[in-house]
Amino acid sequence: MRRAYKYAVLVAMIVSTLALALAVSAGGLGYALPFPAVRNLAYWYLRTTYNPFMPKFTASAPEAVTAIVWDYRGLDTLFETSVFFLAIIASMALMRGIEVKAPKSINLSKYGMSAIVKTVTKITVAIILAASASIALHGQLTPGGGFQGGATAAVAPLVIIVIFSLYFAVSSGIKKKSMLTLRTLGLLGIGVTSFAVIVAGLILGKAAYVFQNQPKEAAPIGFPSHILGVPMGGTLLFFNIFEFLAVAAGFTIVFLLLSVPEESVRKVLEGGEGHD
Amino acid sequence: MADRLVKAVGPAVLAFITYIIFSGSVTPYDLVTATVVAVIVGLLVANLMIHNPRKLLQVQRLGWLIVYAIRYFFIDEVKAHLDVMSRIVRPSMPINPGIVRVPYYVESDYAMTTIANSITNTPGTVVVDLDTERKIFYVHWIDVKALEAERTRKEISEVFERFAKRIFD
Repeated sequence: MRRAYKYAVLVAMIVSTLALALAVSAGGLGYALPFPAVRNLAYWYLRTTYNPFMPKFTASAPEAVTAIVWDYRGLDTLFETSVFFLAIIASMALMRGIEVKAPKSINLSKYGMSAIVKTVTKITVAIILAASASIALHGQLTPGGGFQGGATAAVAPLVIIVIFSLYFAVSSGIKKKSMLTLRTLGLLGIGVTSFAVIVAGLILGKAAYVFQNQPKEAAPIGFPSHILGVPMGGTLLFFNIFEFLAVAAGFTIVFLLLSVPEESVRKVLEGGEGHD
Repeated sequence: MADRLVKAVGPAVLAFITYIIFSGSVTPYDLVTATVVAVIVGLLVANLMIHNPRKLLQVQRLGWLIVYAIRYFFIDEVKAHLDVMSRIVRPSMPINPGIVRVPYYVESDYAMTTIANSITNTPGTVVVDLDTERKIFYVHWIDVKALEAERTRKEISEVFERFAKRIFD
């Protein structure tokens, strides 16, 4: 009976895959290509994202995805980042009162995995951090960016928590408060970057926009387009750096909170505010 | 802080090299950002990675590391591979597996890890557990030739240990 059921599921999966493939290739789920009007939009993005001959339109970044995420639809990304920030704040509020700290006078070397794994991890942590910084700092040039780099960097505290123990992580400075400071700094930097040009415009008496990157027709000031001989995408480099900080610290806070042993926090969670 | 700065040198070099290789380019932008990142990462992981930064100045350690890398990958690895391959292809499959104790006499964690990973990385032997207090590896061996602690060390890890001691201890 069980066997027949298994085969039935297998056959159903194969049939539905083939049916879906047929439907897609026959155009049954809509057009294989977008409408011509929409295609022009994509063409416009690809033509302007790095185009020194159209300085009033370019985002000055060869990486079109980053240019779209942080320039063409930058405001959208700002709100995305804010939502992620609020989610972290909400999770911290939900788990308020829990202190992530190591018990006094414990032998940290007794915790965690074997000395072999620990020694290898010491080296890989440095490699992870360097690689993640490269992902973030080359976001305007190659695939990657602040979010991807930040998520990669968060792996470093994660492996420290898993391999060396939570107590080791906390006592070596990976703390909720310092991570929240770093995260707030990142978000603040994103805010400053998005208002930088309009503030400069107000001071210089020139027209400018919020979230402006390169100089525009009616707004002649903007961020520099190149740095040390490579395109920097104006604001994109700064957005990526600050997003890197915000995301790495945000993930680390969640990792810290989720790795607190349950029995040690149950009392705090159930007791609410009023400790007796 | 001064202590941390000195300790940060080694990790910073590692971070710099990783950054450049990962980025795959050496424009002035890469070199400047790599330096900044290397300093920050170096300071962050200095106390985690380094206990005795003076060892970095002893250049002969680096020389031994290069000699060991060449010897390990082109002699020890090849020998172990040929041995296990011959065991696999022979119809009688002459294996005599078991777990043996292998002692080690190095001090630093890096030297100990070098020996352990050298044992594991060669086919036929795998470190399955370790006792840092008694300084013993528990090694799974495809062809147990000896059981006594000193003889297992001579068969399995003597060469690795000699180099690990010169590089890291």
